Amino acid sequence: MTLAPVDYVILSLYFAFVLGIGWIVKRKVTTSEDFLTSGRSVPVWITSLAFIAANLGAQEVIGMCASGAKYGIMTAHFYWLGAVPAMLFVGVFMMPFYYGSRARSVPEYLKLRFDEKTRALNACTFAVMTVFSSGISMYALGLLFQLVLGWSFTASVLLSAAIVLIYTFLGGLTSAIYNEVLQFFLIVLGFAPLAIMSMLKAGGWSGMAARLPPVMTHAWSYLKEPSQNPMGVEVFGLVAGLGFVLSFGYWCTDFLVVQRAMAADSMSSARRTPLIAAFPKMIMPFIVIVPGVAALALSKMALGYALPLKPDGGPDYDQAMTTLMAQFYPSGMLGLGLTALMASFMSGMAGNVTAFNTVWTYDLYQGYIRKSAPDSHYLWVGRITTVVGVGLSVGTAYLASHFNNIMDFLQLVFGFVNAPLFATFLLGMFWKRATGHGAFTGLLAGTFAAAATHGLTLAENKGGWLGSVVHTFPSTMAQNFWIAIFAWSTCMAVTIVVSLLSAAKPEGELHNLVYGLTDIPHDAHLPWYKRPLPLAAVVIVALVVLNILFW
Amino acid sequence: MRDLRIPIGSFFTLVGVILAVTGVVTGNRAPLETVNVNLYCGFSMLVFGGIMLWLSRRSS
Repeated sequence: MTLAPVDYVILSLYFAFVLGIGWIVKRKVTTSEDFLTSGRSVPVWITSLAFIAANLGAQEVIGMCASGAKYGIMTAHFYWLGAVPAMLFVGVFMMPFYYGSRARSVPEYLKLRFDEKTRALNACTFAVMTVFSSGISMYALGLLFQLVLGWSFTASVLLSAAIVLIYTFLGGLTSAIYNEVLQFFLIVLGFAPLAIMSMLKAGGWSGMAARLPPVMTHAWSYLKEPSQNPMGVEVFGLVAGLGFVLSFGYWCTDFLVVQRAMAADSMSSARRTPLIAAFPKMIMPFIVIVPGVAALALSKMALGYALPLKPDGGPDYDQAMTTLMAQFYPSGMLGLGLTALMASFMSGMAGNVTAFNTVWTYDLYQGYIRKSAPDSHYLWVGRITTVVGVGLSVGTAYLASHFNNIMDFLQLVFGFVNAPLFATFLLGMFWKRATGHGAFTGLLAGTFAAAATHGLTLAENKGGWLGSVVHTFPSTMAQNFWIAIFAWSTCMAVTIVVSLLSAAKPEGELHNLVYGLTDIPHDAHLPWYKRPLPLAAVVIVALVVLNILFW
Repeated sequence: MRDLRIPIGSFFTLVGVILAVTGVVTGNRAPLETVNVNLYCGFSMLVFGGIMLWLSRRSS
């Protein structure tokens, strides 16, 4: 794939706008809260779009398209079964506690609700995890651009990192959020034409269905047995593992996304952020997954299009998106498509960097290193942390390019740490008897349960390192879902038992932190589209319709 | 910033113009597509950018 001058013009224009937004926002930043939490002043339509864009990294876009080609429309479960219900839950049920507690971060909420050690555990793992995941996605981007465009790995990594660094350094979270909205529109407008054209070329949905095995175009019909579908999962593992534990764990507790809602200008806006975001999120499968399914259908037609092969001879699904672009986009749109890819990468990275900043500055630095300093000091620390965070991400990207196994191992460990989180938050928010000792031991026990499940089971030759294998899963996907289920259940049980054995936190200290001791805002006088519950109801109806259409 | 719709609207208006002009000048060159992709996409983005700018003007 070669780029024409017009493609570079579009890419440069985008960079200019991104930096310009950072420059304009900079004037508003005078305190550390402006820089790290946007001073809770962002309108709801902006926080909503940023809420999805921060998660919509390049790995997500490329990976979802790849999964579309590999697993078919079942991939949409990550959205319709996973993300969207979890987003409804965090908006309707959890945001009153996050926003109402006045905590500046998710770990800070844990400190207010439980205790110092639970916060420290969450803050440390989260800080390390964000740096690594932004490094890993930077590595993926550098590799892709090297493969597709022949750009130097170092040049694309450093250029994209430098631009993210400049605009987050200038305007902090506000700048990241504002840019995420631009990035969101760019991703949609840059990829939607590809989805439409590739699908039309493959004969529309019916044409695709005729050319592919039926499992590729049905989301629910082939889930009775793991052997029926290429994901190797059955309905309980999928619903409980992905739909409940993993998705709720991510969308309801990950500070990267929750931070966007916490930046909203009022409690009502904060609650509506994930709910409004759910509408575009529901549509995203048509933009990122359908092209993957279409790519597979196109490769079965006599068009001369085929998925590129990997060195081991299997199809390289990760290249589905870029090879489609090469087939359907002429110079001009091609530039815009690559700019959209770059934008998705930057939104993901800026999301990680701004979340890392806040957790490091408020939870770790202010919490444990220097407790009381003037605010200007923390603003300065926040800015320096931006530089350090980006630097560490670049370092991780290079580490990943040399030691791929270390990265796989770390991602595995992070998975163990994340799996039980949702149980802790669920109990923390809805059971006032849950205690700090309970939460902390529950989290540790859940992490060990996750590791033990992995060590005692086998899937595609992964796991089983504890010596004996008690169960073999049909796929690593199924293994991951079940690891999550065991981790969550263990964390839930241990937290309840230890909480009952330890002294309860006095009710006076739990105001605005727990259900029953928090004023839920009355909103009956507002029109329906400004109230969380009716909005959530509309989303649920649309979700049911989508699932039935693609049953 | 006064209104985020201004930079977003301006960006897509500019990109729309660039793409539409490219489409008119070069015609189509995509291997698997017969319609003029740049022209149609450019025009759509121009419309989107215009709506953004118009919304922003109307509310101020």
